[in-house]
Amino acid sequence: MAQAALSLPSQTGGARPAVRSARRIERRRMLLWLVPPIAWFTVFMLVPYALLFYYSLGQAEDMVFTPGLSLRNFARVFTDEPYLGVILKSARIGLMTSVLSAIMAYPLAFCLAFHVRSASLKFVLYLLVIVPWWASYLVKAYAWKTILGTGGILNATLQGLGLTHEPVRLFLYNEFSVVLTLTYIFTPFAVLSIYAQLERVPTSLIEAARNLGASAWEIVFRIVLPISVPGVIAGGIITFSLAFGDFVAPVLVGGPDSLMISNIVINLLGVAFDWPMAAAIGLVIIALGLALISLSGWLEEKTQVRL
Amino acid sequence: MRAFGNHIFVTSLASAVLFFLYAPILVIVIFSFNDSHYTGLPFNGFTLRWYVELFHDRQILTSIWNSVYVGLGVVAISVLFGLPAAIALDRYTFPGKTAFRRIVLLPIVLPGIITGVALLSFYLTVHFRLSLHTIMLGQGTALMCITITEVFARLQQMGKSQTEAAVNLGANEWELFRHVTLPGIASSLFGAMLIAFSISFDEIAVTFLLTGRENTLPMTLWSLLRREVTPEVNAVATLVVLVSVILIVIGMYASRGKNSASYGNH
Repeated sequence: MAQAALSLPSQTGGARPAVRSARRIERRRMLLWLVPPIAWFTVFMLVPYALLFYYSLGQAEDMVFTPGLSLRNFARVFTDEPYLGVILKSARIGLMTSVLSAIMAYPLAFCLAFHVRSASLKFVLYLLVIVPWWASYLVKAYAWKTILGTGGILNATLQGLGLTHEPVRLFLYNEFSVVLTLTYIFTPFAVLSIYAQLERVPTSLIEAARNLGASAWEIVFRIVLPISVPGVIAGGIITFSLAFGDFVAPVLVGGPDSLMISNIVINLLGVAFDWPMAAAIGLVIIALGLALISLSGWLEEKTQVRL
Repeated sequence: MRAFGNHIFVTSLASAVLFFLYAPILVIVIFSFNDSHYTGLPFNGFTLRWYVELFHDRQILTSIWNSVYVGLGVVAISVLFGLPAAIALDRYTFPGKTAFRRIVLLPIVLPGIITGVALLSFYLTVHFRLSLHTIMLGQGTALMCITITEVFARLQQMGKSQTEAAVNLGANEWELFRHVTLPGIASSLFGAMLIAFSISFDEIAVTFLLTGRENTLPMTLWSLLRREVTPEVNAVATLVVLVSVILIVIGMYASRGKNSASYGNH
């Protein structure tokens, strides 16, 4: 940054002095705004990420860390149990979550985009979607525990209706309840990203299609769905990433074998004191995340319909 | 006329989804008023007993204050560092601008636990003792993108003409900020502050690993949830949801604008 600022006068050497000093002021003003946030993100993000790298290359024995330059921990992520297995399971849960939340979200986003006419009603509905997205993560996960438990609402209702005599244990503490809870948590986010994309569908295109005799289903499948693909992908990839790294749902509503990769990382830090291993897993997740974000950007570009 | 497709079919599907989004939260709220030691049917009648107990619970009261303290710190951090970032992103082009925008969004796109692990290793290396302040720094970093995206969106809507006019009339940086930029972004900045506070108030993913001896409200709730589900937990949960709903609704109204949409969806 500083270098760029210093090299500026020579680049503009031929310009008039007034312009030159104006540019210098411009540069100085820019640094005023730019240096604090860059310093912050360097200290609290880039340095910590770099430290993860440093720790991942070393070893810990009896809670003492020895620096090193070995890729052994990264190899262990892919060879030792349970790491790879848990990563794959977390990915499976993440994938199911993102697909299911997109399916849940689509009708609501569609309704919001095409079936609500007044602007203020639209804003209220929009708020109704935002509120559960930002409302307490923990409470949302815990709510399903009270609904699905053996003494929960669902079982009480089933017994009340005489459908079962004993509480059904199948609802809670398994992978199904984890996926259901995560889908519940991420559906509002999927609605927001699909809606943002549906808003781009031009009214004229729909009217043109209708004037040419297209049925509602044809409009949905040949205009609306193709245009909404980038929103579905963008929302889906972030949902996948966040669900993949969740540690709350597995503990609250998951069974004994539904621990996910973040739970493993927490255990490595808190119980096993295996820092280097936790750092290595963390870096693998960051790498996966970055790859996904790039993939998402590329896919969005590819699937974006020029309007 | 944009509507197409069967209006009744679409609206009933959408209402079903909305019901799915709200029913579980409502269950918690309703059972926080249930006069029974046990979360479940039947509903034995209305009581405020659990709220009264909650306000006599030392541990919970302390953690509420801790959460407020952390939230205020997070708001201060995200304004002090996020606002300049938004202004810089709006006004200037600089090398690494795209990379900077991506880095800012990383903590909200990556699982929170990753931010936690990275910061924890940083704190251990520089021998920071874990406390409410370490939580504050972590959440501040993770939530800064909210201020940046909200304020940036507003600045983009405002356009550059007023700023240019002020500069041409000889305004210095402070005058420019005080009389042009700040009045223009005030409402969206206020909205972003409320939203950041509200998220901080029930943040757990980043907080989890950075907590020292003092707990924030979600951490206390977490330890209660892992032990036994009591009606008091429902009361705490209802309060937490209520606080975030109120702040978010006000925040969204304040920052109401074309671009204040979903975060992370760059």
